[in-house]
Amino acid sequence: MNYMPGTASLIDDIDKKHLVLLRDGRTLIGFLRSIDQFANLVFHQTVERIHVGKKFGDIPRGIFIVRGENVVLLGEIDIDKLCDHILQQVSIEEILEEQRLQQQAKQKTEKAKVTALKDRGLSIPKADNLDEY
Amino acid sequence: MFRFQSLDEDCTLEKEEGLVEEEDEIDQFNDDTFGDGAIDDDWQEEHKRLAELEERKNEGLGGLGLGGLGMGGMGGGDASTVQLPPPASRVPHPSSLPPPHHSLSSMPPPGLEDRGGGDLAESLAMLILGADPAIASVGGPTGPGDRSTGLPPPPSMPQQHQLPPHQQLTPSGLPPGPLHPSLLSYQQHQHLLRRGGPPMQQMNSHNIWENNMGFGPVSVTPGLVTQMEDSPLMSIIKEVGLPNRPPPVMSEDGRDLSERAPPPRSSSPVIGSPPVRAVPIGTPPKQPMSHAMNHHQQNSPLCRPPFPAGVGPVLSQIQRAQMLNSQVAGFPRGCQGPPLLPGGGGFRPFFGQPPPHRMGPHHNHVPCPIIRHNTTHLHPQHRRMLTQRMQSRGGERGGRVGDWRSRDPYSNLMTQREKEWVAKIQMMQLQSTDPYLDDYYYQNYFEKMEKRQERDRDGVRKEHTTKLITPQVAKLEHTYRPVQFAGSLGKLTVSSVNNPRKMIDTVVTSRTDDEEKREKQVWNKRRQILYTVEKMYSLLLEVQDFEKRFMQTPEEQREALLEQHKTHTLQLYASLREKEWDDRVSDEQCLLIMSVRKGKRLISRLIPFLPPLQAAAVVMGIARNLPALAKKDKQDQALCWLVEPVAVVISSLSSAALTDLLQELQGSEGQLSKVLQNKFGVTLLYLILSEGERMQSSDLNCQLMDDNRWTELVFSVTRELLNVPPSSLSPPLFTPPNLLSLFSRYVDRQRLELLQEKLQISSLSR
Repeated sequence: MNYMPGTASLIDDIDKKHLVLLRDGRTLIGFLRSIDQFANLVFHQTVERIHVGKKFGDIPRGIFIVRGENVVLLGEIDIDKLCDHILQQVSIEEILEEQRLQQQAKQKTEKAKVTALKDRGLSIPKADNLDEY
Repeated sequence: MFRFQSLDEDCTLEKEEGLVEEEDEIDQFNDDTFGDGAIDDDWQEEHKRLAELEERKNEGLGGLGLGGLGMGGMGGGDASTVQLPPPASRVPHPSSLPPPHHSLSSMPPPGLEDRGGGDLAESLAMLILGADPAIASVGGPTGPGDRSTGLPPPPSMPQQHQLPPHQQLTPSGLPPGPLHPSLLSYQQHQHLLRRGGPPMQQMNSHNIWENNMGFGPVSVTPGLVTQMEDSPLMSIIKEVGLPNRPPPVMSEDGRDLSERAPPPRSSSPVIGSPPVRAVPIGTPPKQPMSHAMNHHQQNSPLCRPPFPAGVGPVLSQIQRAQMLNSQVAGFPRGCQGPPLLPGGGGFRPFFGQPPPHRMGPHHNHVPCPIIRHNTTHLHPQHRRMLTQRMQSRGGERGGRVGDWRSRDPYSNLMTQREKEWVAKIQMMQLQSTDPYLDDYYYQNYFEKMEKRQERDRDGVRKEHTTKLITPQVAKLEHTYRPVQFAGSLGKLTVSSVNNPRKMIDTVVTSRTDDEEKREKQVWNKRRQILYTVEKMYSLLLEVQDFEKRFMQTPEEQREALLEQHKTHTLQLYASLREKEWDDRVSDEQCLLIMSVRKGKRLISRLIPFLPPLQAAAVVMGIARNLPALAKKDKQDQALCWLVEPVAVVISSLSSAALTDLLQELQGSEGQLSKVLQNKFGVTLLYLILSEGERMQSSDLNCQLMDDNRWTELVFSVTRELLNVPPSSLSPPLFTPPNLLSLFSRYVDRQRLELLQEKLQISSLSR
């Protein structure tokens, strides 16, 4: 059945495996089971995939309901095409550990930057991510 | 409770306490009735009232019947409170109850006092048999039908179709078998129930709140009833009733949760607002109703595609669901388990349309796209192209995708109806009254596409590319007319989302075109005058500042400055004068400028700077147009500013010029009288005369008397002055003293005196 040909409609994406990137940076992969007019999504057998460098880890999450406004992008995954050979899957603990290290490193550099600027008398106000207006 | 039926007096606390000690079955909950919560009136009445309330409440709960209903004693045993669904509650409770040691219940069941007669036992039997789904299913659809009291079939009746297997697991613990209630006598039945008691108790504890099926509580099972006298728990339950259970999360009858529409909003009144919907707009479509559900349930397993065993997670809830669905044993493929369902007890996936996997093989069979009426908003070409695309894509993938989809047990959670519903909403958003305004780029894109295609397949296929006129939503004007009652002050305004409250009753006065034009013209002209005045002012200011600047600039540049100055002054005059005549001020222009207050001021400041000839011309012009000016000046009264500069000019005038001036002032017939009425006019006149007199008196060779004009003019002035009534003679700003001497030359004594009076009156009185 042709649902809204020529338009971007999610109806044809139902029951297919999708990857969605959320506004908070999370990447979810799951089967898109249901949608509505606001593009709220219901994902089934969802897996949160964390990428650190070339490694990634999957955390099974079950059923996810995503509010439409938080979706950045959504794309279908070809089931037959398996994961890239470049990326290497690791265990959850490992990937979380990697993520933590990454966050730490990031914070360190950020801090160094801020102190450096402060020494020079400059200050860049920290952008509040929650405030979009 | 019936123990105390005989008590008519009010119960006191002591009594109650005493009772408590006496009997274990009376518990603290009875404080409500006999203790602190008791009201000092007839408790029977009170209970009756409360019981009725409870009944109503319980009915509202949809047959859960868990209020503090107490049912009178069971035959032979303790009177027990059975939590009854409303139909059961209507069971007549005989007043002639044997007073067993039934425990105190908070209130008699409703209708207790209503129906006097009726056999308690009979009613109980009916209750049990009718209410419990298990028994009912065993007995058949009309289990209690043959009983006398018109006990309506319990609400759980429809379930019986689905639950043949359920009987094996019912908490009632009734042995499966032909337990048609009609076959049993009441006593036998009771016996059976009692027997079925003990093993049931364990199940009771976990099944008090819900049946195995996950349905909401329908009734307390009869087994529970029989246990009443055994445990303290039961006694409490008897008396107080089971606490209100939360409304079952899992839907009854497996109905879709979407059927539970949120409580109706307080909707805005119908006038001017969207139609009141029982189900708010946002709810997805309901699933078909229960009777249809049965069919579905039976059909869909057959429709359901086969899937390999072991697919999908198996949860305990799912297992239960499986048990329920074991009726679908007639599964074609005979695979292990029934369709696995996600979520406990949810039947939704069963009610889907034929699954999409059928789309795969079908895709290739569908040559032409299914034209959906709601896609007509899209360009026909567009639709065609995209269906082609879809088909080509579908064809290659159809086989594979179909397979995979068929194996996915969770597919089709979203039913066809729901998909259509979402599509419909999205289509609604595309409706537009002006597609070029709303979706310009799409329209253009498609025009280009069309042209390109025509170009490409020109001659090959004359495919008819008729432009489909997409249905455009007519702009409906919903003007709200407020409800008005005849003869009332004001209008009743019912405000809603679509017509907010009207705060101000504005009346639009629309002027006709002509009027508007005229008004505009007037304004335009005035604006122009003002503009001219402003420009002249700027020039004037420069001229005025000339001297200062002149002093400041060094020698070399002084000449240049002088030149500049001259040009400015010339310019100033040029704006006033007539086009051809150099020495005459344009009447029209003069009038225009003088009609504005600022213009008058301007002239008064301007005159001193003009060369004498030009200044004289200006004054002439003023004199000539004095009546008109006077009329226009009525509001401003600014003409008097002109007196000073004019006086200066006059004093420098030659006699001939003076005469001319006087002549101008007199002008046409009747002008003089108007002049006399105006303050400035009078002043001017006097000035002229006095100047003339001065000339005459000072300079003997004055040429004033050479021609008779002066004399004549003076005569006419005199005449006028004499004739004019004193009231209309406007007082001048000042009266030159030598007027009398002037007049004395021309008039005789009498008239002179009159004139004198006139002159004096005017200056003194005002």
